Amino acid sequence: MRLKFSPRLISAVIVALIVAFVVQSNWGSASVSGRTIATFLVVGIALGGVYAISAAGLVVTYATTGIFNFAQAAIGCFLAFCYWQLTVQWGLPTLVAIAITLLIIAPAIGIALDRVIMRRLRDAALVVQLMVTVGLMLTFMGITLTIWPPKAPRSVPHFFEGTKGVQIGDVIATWHRIITVAIALLVAVALRFLLYRTRLGISMRAVVDSRSLAGLTGAKSSVISGASWSLGCMTAGLAGILIAPETGLVVENLALVIVVAAAAAAIAQLKSLPMVFVGGLIIGLTEAFTSVFLNFGTDWNYAPQAIPCVILFVALLFLPQARLETGKVRLTKRTERLTKPWEAAVGGGVMIVLVGAWANGWIPWFSGTTFGERSAVWLGRGVGFMIVGLIMLSLVPLIGWAGQVSFANFAIAGVGAVLFSHFGGQNGSPIGILFVMLVCAPLGLLIALPALRLKGLYLALATLAFAEFTDKVIVRHPKMIDPSATGVLFKPLDIFGIHISSDAADRKAFVIFLVIAFALLFFMLELLRRSRWARRWIAMSDSPAASATIGINLTTTKMAVFMLSGAMAGFAGCMLGLSQGALRVDSFPMFIGLPLVLLLAVQGVRYPVAAFMGLIGLASFPALSEVMGNPSWLTQVSLIGPGLAAVAMAYRPEGAVFYTGRDLAGMLPWRADAREEKALLDQRTRDQDIGRDDINDLGLTRAFTREKVAQLDRRLSISDAVDEHPMVTSTGVAK
Amino acid sequence: MTALLSTNEVVVRFGVLQAVSQASIEVHAGRVTGLIGPNGAGKTTCFNVITGLQEPTSGKVLLEGVDITGKSPSKRARLGIARTFQKLEVFGSLSARENIMVAAEQRRAWDKSGFDPKKVTDEILEKVGIADVSEFMVGTLPTGTARLVELARALATNPRLLLLDEASSGLTEEETEEMAALLRRLVADDGLGILLVEHDMSFVMGICEFIYVLDFGRVIASGTPAEVQANPTVQAAYLGTESVEEAS
Ligand SMILES: Nc1ncnc2c1ncn2[C@@H]1O[C@H](COP(=O)(O)OP(=O)(O)OP(=O)(O)O)[C@@H](O)[C@H]1O
Ligand SMILES: [Mg+2]
Repeated sequence: MRLKFSPRLISAVIVALIVAFVVQSNWGSASVSGRTIATFLVVGIALGGVYAISAAGLVVTYATTGIFNFAQAAIGCFLAFCYWQLTVQWGLPTLVAIAITLLIIAPAIGIALDRVIMRRLRDAALVVQLMVTVGLMLTFMGITLTIWPPKAPRSVPHFFEGTKGVQIGDVIATWHRIITVAIALLVAVALRFLLYRTRLGISMRAVVDSRSLAGLTGAKSSVISGASWSLGCMTAGLAGILIAPETGLVVENLALVIVVAAAAAAIAQLKSLPMVFVGGLIIGLTEAFTSVFLNFGTDWNYAPQAIPCVILFVALLFLPQARLETGKVRLTKRTERLTKPWEAAVGGGVMIVLVGAWANGWIPWFSGTTFGERSAVWLGRGVGFMIVGLIMLSLVPLIGWAGQVSFANFAIAGVGAVLFSHFGGQNGSPIGILFVMLVCAPLGLLIALPALRLKGLYLALATLAFAEFTDKVIVRHPKMIDPSATGVLFKPLDIFGIHISSDAADRKAFVIFLVIAFALLFFMLELLRRSRWARRWIAMSDSPAASATIGINLTTTKMAVFMLSGAMAGFAGCMLGLSQGALRVDSFPMFIGLPLVLLLAVQGVRYPVAAFMGLIGLASFPALSEVMGNPSWLTQVSLIGPGLAAVAMAYRPEGAVFYTGRDLAGMLPWRADAREEKALLDQRTRDQDIGRDDINDLGLTRAFTREKVAQLDRRLSISDAVDEHPMVTSTGVAK
Repeated sequence: MTALLSTNEVVVRFGVLQAVSQASIEVHAGRVTGLIGPNGAGKTTCFNVITGLQEPTSGKVLLEGVDITGKSPSKRARLGIARTFQKLEVFGSLSARENIMVAAEQRRAWDKSGFDPKKVTDEILEKVGIADVSEFMVGTLPTGTARLVELARALATNPRLLLLDEASSGLTEEETEEMAALLRRLVADDGLGILLVEHDMSFVMGICEFIYVLDFGRVIASGTPAEVQANPTVQAAYLGTESVEEAS
């Protein structure tokens, strides 16, 4: 083969150089001896095995249902706690506990998920699919925290704890690790057998592109998708049980395995099972290598935790470009008309009046408020809610219009806050805000860059990785946030003589300043929606292939929207910094980015007003809680809330704003058109549900001919070889 | 005269399947050329190669004699190639007018004649006959109308070469006739070259001046409608498929 100077080769060289540099400059004190190498290998392979199991579950569910399950690791976490309950608490024998967990509880969860939620998502937009599983992830974390509150540390015993293990050279490989590796291999073989040798497995692979393949599969989709989800949950549980003894039974740690699993799955291009195991090993070995040989010093203390993110990012650089797929357009069942500029102006005005009145204490909020007075605590919360609203607003053009699902905007805001503390914020300069926005715009772009040429899901993963990287590496460096600094980092912002800061006395002005900024941005977005920019973004999101064939350059079009969104997030970040006064290194956890997007998505990603509704919803929760005297069950509801949102989204994919708006309009006597429209769309929904069950009739009973299996093998996504041209879609084969 | 478009022994392979095998076709300005063939013959794949959505395994695509094989879809649009899709690729959450506006505005990137996209949009809405539904979101329109929106959108880029994939499917008989009249006007008045994939044989035979027949990715026959209809190979190819009643 001829060596070409392809971009890939160049990136490979660059990545290798960077790795070499990092390794060289952080080399620890460990000597390279047989002993350390053996330790590194034993630990790395065992870790890699667990990661691979979890990632294999992800890939199987993705390849067979088309849904990337962000809840995978959280479900694994829940199951690991179940296992702990059964063995440690109730004293059941290990094998019995494993059987109950993996063969009863896990499939039950899988089938329930499939029945209640997942089946409705088959044709949903990417953002809906993602946000539903993100909601589930938060819910499983919440449920686990509720049932098993993190009071006392819990630990899951290793298998054969107390036995010695096997001596390899100078190192002892514990039985637990040996078993882990054996199980990983077993899972690989079993999945392979299931998917390629059993009729159920072949049907599972066939159903992915159900519309064009229904004819040749003879597939009963309900059985199959149930099986896929059960399988996903079982592998999740297995990975959870195996990894819990190593990480400790801590919800956050276990749920974070999703980042690792996603990285391994990305290396496998979300389809190749053998590559999943390679990916798992790469990550496991890198982590083990780092812990054995490297020492990052105090400045980069948390860097090792970001390894999976970095690997995910690098993997994205090397994935082959996605084809512009055709035949995937979803025709929405939605009608809407553009908001007129005066309507948007009125809307913005209403927001200012509402929030302004609230800040002045003219709106009753909770028991004990005196009229005309709002407590400083509540004003502080109000500032926080407005900032969350601003970040959500920055997501509307990006996710809602351009269809680019990003979880990074909270992290960008975090970087913005840190930047502002260095440039302008420390002396209260508004110019600093502009500067931060100018930096955050290309930052938004930088995150998206590796994923621009890939399909949307990878972008979501890349942004998640960036958020985690920001949390663990960027803001933890003492040059960014100095942990020893005390006191307020920001001088009050002076706007026409009015001071805005985190100071109790300035908070009312802060809230009002924020709502005015929010309303202006809202108005700007509504105008933008009527411009050619928004049209182009929406066109690109609706049909990339058609956009390209009318001459739209998809890359530059995407870049523009990322910069806009990044700049808006940067503004929110300045406000975030200002409102916190002193920045702490743990202020920007990656997980916050997820519920933020969920909150917006539940309201409706396409509508700027949804950001406002989202922040009102958020604000009413603590208010409600105070009215009811802070009952403890409400905290639990708030933990389960995301799950309810997830279910709601599966049934109401366009978001609450859309349905409420339509229903409210339908109540007005003169809006007969709204009523007609609703009837029409309900009818269509019914029609679609009927269509959905068509393929059930084919039944699982028909045998596959060898020819059909071969045809499926060619067309389907789980394949041995990682080929250059994914053949998941068909171009108009269905007739 | 060089052809407006010619493909030169294009081959597309999907794994072991040869979707297009050494297909060479020519499209001339000012006339409608037909591309027919049974299901899975490779017609849509040919379109994808011509518009740059599918990279050919080998072979070349020439526009007025210039090799454009390596160019991106958006560059080809600038050079004057536009298409519609067999399976609708409309911008479902934009109104019909916006669908066309997007294309007209995009055209300003390369067409510096200083035209007004709004005016162009209105003209095209009128021309294609969808002015009355222009404010509806395309996702809510019936398939036939949405197809017309796609056609209008393609026209808004002011193409020299127009590729229509199953232009008449989903249209009523009346709409099909209007479509035929429109296509005739486009070739006669504006001098467009049109390449038409179509299953409705009477439509094809009535409107095309020249027809290529594709089967298993190969051009098995070409000629005037009368010649093609009389060709025994073509009849055999069609007899082997479900399209036999349509081909009557
Ligand atoms: N992305 C793809 N991956 C694998 N095979 C494909 C792909 N696209 C098309 N094919 C196959 O290539 C062959 C030609 O398909 P194509 O869609 O071009 O046929 P067509 O002539 O347009 O058929 P129809 O009349 O049904 O539209 C078919 O066998 C199809 O299954
Ligand atoms: Mg076709």
